[in-house]
Amino acid sequence: MDVVRLIGLRTLTSAAALLWLATLAAQSPQLTSYPLMVSPTAPAGVDRGVRDLDLPRDPRTDATSRSVRQRGPVLAGSVIVKFRPGTSTDVRRRLLAQVDGAPVAPVSDAPFEIASIDSSADPEAVARLLDAQPDVEYAQARYRVYPRFTPNDPQYARQWNFPAIEMERAWDINQGAAPSITVAVLDSGVAFRSAVMRYEAPAFTLDGPTTITFPALGVVDVPFAAAPDLEGANRFVSPRDFIWETADPLDLDGHGTHVAGTVGQLTNNGVGVAGMAFNVRIMPVKVIAGIWDAIFGSPRVGTDDVVARGIRYAVDNGAKVINLSIGRSGRPAPAVHEAIAYAVSRGAFVVVAGGNAFEEGNDIERFAEFAPDIDGMVAVGAIGRDRRRAFYSNTGPYIELVAPGGNTRVGGTGGGILQQTFDFDFVDTFLRGPSQYRAPRFDMFAYDFLQGSSMAAPHVAGFAAMLMQQGITSPAAIEAAMKRYAIDLGEPGRDNEYGYGLIDPRASLRGLGLAR
Amino acid sequence: MTRLITAIGVVLLLAGPARAQSDVTVRGFADVGSTSFSADRSFEAVLGSTGRPVFGGGVEALLPGRVFVNLRASRFHRTGQRVFRFNDQLFNLGIPVTVTVVPIELTGGYRFDSGALLVPYAGAGVGWYRYREKSEFADADENVHDQFTGFHILGGTEVHLARWMGAAFEAEWATVPDALGGSPNSVAREFQESNLGGFTIRGKVIVGRW
Repeated sequence: MDVVRLIGLRTLTSAAALLWLATLAAQSPQLTSYPLMVSPTAPAGVDRGVRDLDLPRDPRTDATSRSVRQRGPVLAGSVIVKFRPGTSTDVRRRLLAQVDGAPVAPVSDAPFEIASIDSSADPEAVARLLDAQPDVEYAQARYRVYPRFTPNDPQYARQWNFPAIEMERAWDINQGAAPSITVAVLDSGVAFRSAVMRYEAPAFTLDGPTTITFPALGVVDVPFAAAPDLEGANRFVSPRDFIWETADPLDLDGHGTHVAGTVGQLTNNGVGVAGMAFNVRIMPVKVIAGIWDAIFGSPRVGTDDVVARGIRYAVDNGAKVINLSIGRSGRPAPAVHEAIAYAVSRGAFVVVAGGNAFEEGNDIERFAEFAPDIDGMVAVGAIGRDRRRAFYSNTGPYIELVAPGGNTRVGGTGGGILQQTFDFDFVDTFLRGPSQYRAPRFDMFAYDFLQGSSMAAPHVAGFAAMLMQQGITSPAAIEAAMKRYAIDLGEPGRDNEYGYGLIDPRASLRGLGLAR
Repeated sequence: MTRLITAIGVVLLLAGPARAQSDVTVRGFADVGSTSFSADRSFEAVLGSTGRPVFGGGVEALLPGRVFVNLRASRFHRTGQRVFRFNDQLFNLGIPVTVTVVPIELTGGYRFDSGALLVPYAGAGVGWYRYREKSEFADADENVHDQFTGFHILGGTEVHLARWMGAAFEAEWATVPDALGGSPNSVAREFQESNLGGFTIRGKVIVGRW
């Protein structure tokens, strides 16, 4: 299962296309009656926990802010002192004079005093000197304390990706955008609703290193449910499926549900994991087909025209941010270029995954390559928890930013990006060979570590939603704000591995003061 | 601010009796005016309009030979919001930022006192400008607490209104170089404005002996 999760989505899509061509069901006259919604409702999804089967080491849990250490945690020029009861004013002055200090105005609601010291003195050293005096009950440096939004989602500690971009401090400024911002997830669909769908699964042949023929399952009723850690009141808007040409972009793969989770997983709800912009509305737009779509005989697979239509649909129906964790190599894609330019011209910010084919030749990622030409669109590469480019992440002049996408070569399974999606034991049944092949269930959920530039892009999409809600409404300005504050990695300045660098949401959200 | 007003009040109360004992006349004054900052684009960007009145006050000594010396303090205090600038577009980010400028200026000058009702005067001096900038969500070292030195020239006309009271209208130009724009997070750097000085007009009420 993990192997399949690690291969690029493009490979998956190609396999789906092969399957679609290979399926024997195309000749079946009954296929035209499926899919059929047997029931518009179904039991709620089942949360089956975190899927970290190969767990030789615990994920890093030091969610404390790196910046606190970098910026110096102690306030210069003063210390906290509490003198013992009965210590005279003269003695207090004398003790403070020994450290070149002086009392300042008393503070209310405190049994201690704030003593001023030389601004160049080390407050810790001064506090130690005072603390050693018999008339001093205690003395300490004035440590800075920060507001800190740390989500209470129980698996948040495994999400190294958010502390890596200081999201806790960014969330202090902007709590996950707002429902007025809609983020369109153009992907394999999203687990956004309950239903029972009736499909026909004919026999098919899986072409690969070895050719495997799977038996027909006949007519099957397949349950769907909304991802429990994603759904909410009015959470999903204007859903659309361009693969099946319906208004129900059900996810038959899991990729889109995971991506949507990074954009806006319900956060601070005491369940599961967190997401970037957890207050946005999500527009599920299905523009690529998974293997089950192909097995069930979807009339379309993900092609440039389908993607272009999805982009136009999203922006015409109110999406302010569009996430495309999809791509391909091959010949240029003018239809998609035109659609993205159209979306940006209508005020939408577009995020595209930079590609996962570095080790397969690093071919130009055709959708991502538009990024330098379009102000208001960015192409995103992936880094691991070591803040280095992930092994699979494409390089090239089109990479503009990087974000956490995971790298399991560095951190094992826990080095991936953890979000809720399907429990793949119930989805990828074709991986077990014909004898254990059975109909899938899309109502069983788990928290999976996935990796890819597909996982990096939704970080940026969520970030864009936050910037938009903060007040930067122009797509080109959002791109400029992201680039301006990006943390330069790799070669100084822009480079082909990291682009302008790692996104820094807090700095971008803060913007400019008059002097600082 | 309260302390400043109190200090000015004390000076105003004491100004009359003090001058009677010597050739040096000590007077107090309070003023209200408006400053147009040299870094006007930066101030406008973050604080919006800076046209609201600025209050100040101080003491001055009239010395023999029509020479005067005065010490004046004022306080500019405004709250605006942090911004992002892209091309010529400004985006307000809704994060409150408060800017406080407290100039303390020492001025020496000459009064063209010919015994007429109106007394023109001109002067120049040095000023110490305390600049504070505090933003919500900022770390302590992201806030600003600096002091700069600047220079100014001024001129005005004074009129005697009553036995102990007069008024003046004054214009001042100040320069405080290299005060702003040092940080990459400064909108002043965006506009390439570094001077904290500006042009001020103010009206003064003077209490003391003529």
